[in-house]
Amino acid sequence: MNLIRSELRKILQYPTFWVIMAIYVLLQVLLIYFSSNFMISGQSLGKSLYDFPNLWMRFSYIAYFFNLLLGILVIVLVTDEYSYRTLRQQVIDGRSRTEAVLAKFYVSLGLAAIGTVFLLVMGLLFGLIYSSDTSIGAIVGKIDYLSYFFVQAVGYMCLAMFFAFLIRKSGLAIIAFLAWSKIVEPIIHYQIDDRIDRFMPMKVFGSLTPTPGQDIIDGLTTPTMALSPAWAVLPALFYIGLLVLASILLVRLRDL
Amino acid sequence: MATVLHLHELSKKYGSLQAVDRLTLQVEAGSIYGLLGPNGSGKTTTLGMVLDVIRPSGGSFLWFGRSISKETKQRVGALLETPNFYPYLTAKANLQVVADTKQADHRHINKMLDMVGLGTRSHTTYKGFSLGMKQRLALAAAMLNDPEVLVLDEPTNGLDPQGIAEVRDLITRIAAQGKTILLASHLLDEVEKVCTHVAVLQAGKLKANGPVGDILSTKDQLVISAEELAPVLQLLERLPYIVQFVQDKNYISLTLSEGYTSTDLNRDMFAQGIVLSQLLVRRKSLEAQFLELTQK
Repeated sequence: MNLIRSELRKILQYPTFWVIMAIYVLLQVLLIYFSSNFMISGQSLGKSLYDFPNLWMRFSYIAYFFNLLLGILVIVLVTDEYSYRTLRQQVIDGRSRTEAVLAKFYVSLGLAAIGTVFLLVMGLLFGLIYSSDTSIGAIVGKIDYLSYFFVQAVGYMCLAMFFAFLIRKSGLAIIAFLAWSKIVEPIIHYQIDDRIDRFMPMKVFGSLTPTPGQDIIDGLTTPTMALSPAWAVLPALFYIGLLVLASILLVRLRDL
Repeated sequence: MATVLHLHELSKKYGSLQAVDRLTLQVEAGSIYGLLGPNGSGKTTTLGMVLDVIRPSGGSFLWFGRSISKETKQRVGALLETPNFYPYLTAKANLQVVADTKQADHRHINKMLDMVGLGTRSHTTYKGFSLGMKQRLALAAAMLNDPEVLVLDEPTNGLDPQGIAEVRDLITRIAAQGKTILLASHLLDEVEKVCTHVAVLQAGKLKANGPVGDILSTKDQLVISAEELAPVLQLLERLPYIVQFVQDKNYISLTLSEGYTSTDLNRDMFAQGIVLSQLLVRRKSLEAQFLELTQK
């Protein structure tokens, strides 16, 4: 409890936190609002985008892109502790290194929860206004996608946290995080067999929020080997555990 | 007397650099123990190791006769190198974070801010503080749960004369409460003014340690002169307790071995019928002593 209270004190009074969260909310509202104008096969997606229950799948796919922003926020929060030398001071004052890492993991859980609740509110808002079917059954139909999104957000932030503890400098850690998730791992995916690469971390996290209309694309080309969201949860949790463990080991083994 | 901190052959190697080399020493309860040495002599590394942020390459240390743990850490307040706080938080909010970590009573926060003279600035953000105020806030943080031991690393470094005076005054006031203080410094007069015991470090090695009086001022220099210097010089050759003497124009400066004072010299001179016209005890300058210690 002490650990979480301490993190809250630090975060809630941190202007950077509020700025990044404002950007997160604003950009997502804009994208959700304007995505109904997207054209697919010469046809505007239109208001059908906001139809329950598929809305949950579409919205979580949109939110997926913004996990990068949450990851960057986590990197800033972790590397701050190094540049202010407050991590060192906390260990001097009696915090264990494991607790110091867990504190940031709890922050990630909290941020993922905020993101998920935000998505729920947006979904209900847009859905209740525009959806053609607003029966309870339709609303809760695919609401489990929110939980997949939650796991995915935690996964992204744990990867960011790992790079932050590894590199300790915010700029370089952000570059490493973006490079790994958007360039390096995707390149590896092309090089190896689909049956193997679907188990790689970014692929697994991505599988949690599949591209809407993937089934249509699959009908036209060869179907992807990607895991279904439900199947991706287990390996995703495995990677989350691994990343947290690796961060703890890093901090325990090095001088502060 | 109880031993607060015991170091046994503590070592740290950075690549090929031996930052701390088999350091063994003991800090007794109630002492103000100075760790004296030039920059880069391993003071901060030593403190970093006993404070659990730098991993020793060899040797061991015990706090209160036990290995370091959450429990021993709560009995020690420490300030390593620089004051470490969140720049965007106020003085008070920063101490709240520290109180969470130390599981200290939050009611002490205002008391501590008053003690270091920051009571009226508790709502100023840390980044707006002067270096002296930052240093004092760090002392307040270190004192937050009323620890038995205070570890201070160069607490007056970079401060202006007024800041130095304020921080030293605080340290003496804290020491007067019966706390044990371990203080690293490269300033001789600071150690001499504040400390009861001292360990002199150079290039990671322990050069000397003991009570400040023994280490920093035993071998005083005597300056003598007489009408006729020749018989004096002859006698000095024969006296066993003269470490060395040098003639300088019309006076002689000399060093006595430990346990002898100017009285002994005067008596022996007089017994030989030599009357000194001048007998002056001159304390060797601290800088000279320090150089002597570290060049051994």
